[in-house]
Amino acid sequence: MRRAPIVITATVAGLVGVLAFHTTPARLSAGTLPGVSGTPAPTASGGSQRSQGTSGSGSPPPSSPTAHARPKGTAPAQPGGTRTVTGPAVNYNYGVLSVSVTVSGSKITKVGIASIDDGGMQRSQFIDEQAIPILEQEALQAQSANIQGVSGASYTSAGFQQSLQAALQTLGFK
Amino acid sequence: MGTVVTINVYTTDGKAGTDVSRQLAAAQAILQRADAVFSTWRPHSPVSRLRRGEITSAQAPAEVSEVLEQCAIARELSGGWFDPWAMPGGIDPTGYVKGWAARQALGAFRASGICGAIVNAAGDIASFGGLGPGQPFRIGIADPFAPDRLAEIVYLTGAIATSGTYERGSHLIDPHTGLATARAASASVTGPDLGLADALATAVAVAGAPGLDLVEALDGYEALIIALDGSRRWTRHFPFAPREAAPPR
Repeated sequence: MRRAPIVITATVAGLVGVLAFHTTPARLSAGTLPGVSGTPAPTASGGSQRSQGTSGSGSPPPSSPTAHARPKGTAPAQPGGTRTVTGPAVNYNYGVLSVSVTVSGSKITKVGIASIDDGGMQRSQFIDEQAIPILEQEALQAQSANIQGVSGASYTSAGFQQSLQAALQTLGFK
Repeated sequence: MGTVVTINVYTTDGKAGTDVSRQLAAAQAILQRADAVFSTWRPHSPVSRLRRGEITSAQAPAEVSEVLEQCAIARELSGGWFDPWAMPGGIDPTGYVKGWAARQALGAFRASGICGAIVNAAGDIASFGGLGPGQPFRIGIADPFAPDRLAEIVYLTGAIATSGTYERGSHLIDPHTGLATARAASASVTGPDLGLADALATAVAVAGAPGLDLVEALDGYEALIIALDGSRRWTRHFPFAPREAAPPR
């Protein structure tokens, strides 16, 4: 059975790996992310007040594509070194979290949770375990095949673990 | 069980400066409302109470009747292979609701300045538009035998849903026997309505190859089966996309 509760994450304007979990609409403003074309790399806070979650953009100009979906993007592989950015802490349904994204050139190589405070709620922990690998998987797959999403990606926890491990191994992590 | 909803919004000017926070808030409210009403996991949700016979569908919020009506249509169109009334534990419209809710949420993004949006509810995807004019979205179908790989890529017009035995163990119930069954490793269905696509994907995964004929008969819907031996079968116009996108220009 696919069961609720539903957790919202948002990825906006062609960027992957952007999380925005929220409880109150007032805090929900993942709508914008730093523009890419000609924009300097975002700072750790995302560079914009309205940017929640984390942007993997930050490749050098001109118009280097972030991840997968720049309509008029140039070819990827802008060299830019590897760096990790951490987004601001955002509310989500069961607590507060922040996200980190590691980019190498214009490629997102890792999406993860930099910090999380769910008040020790078991349900929250369970949801996190389910949600985060999906997001990581989507973020990574989305770039490798120039796609905007994956259908059929809901796995059991065991599947999530497996998928995550595979992804990490691919990246040379243990 | 958690359901993760990912939302991608694509703006016409290619800039990320468009503020879509209002639309996101609206979408979130829609999803949370759907969760509150339809969750079979929350004991006091209207649908949980309906399952226990504490209320009738007439006493439930209006969208419950609407969804049940749609479920009845989906049951008919799927030749009875999708049947929320035949679930162990009582009526369970969950298989339709997720897609329905995602589609409702998608509506929040129809606004000027937005050329396309994707609402991805844990692998069941509703969308409109594309990356830009003449640039449809590309969506990967997870490989049922290797969760970290893609089996196929499709051009997305509207919705795609995928069901399979690899999801959450053997949750696919054969309505004719009441037993957990699957005759395909996974089944994907594309079409305009994600709720129906989801119901049909479940039906095809349970029915196997005969399910393809049902989908073939429906205008606007296409299906792909990945069989238990890894072989594939599909309806005539299933929207396969090439593995690699044409280089952007």
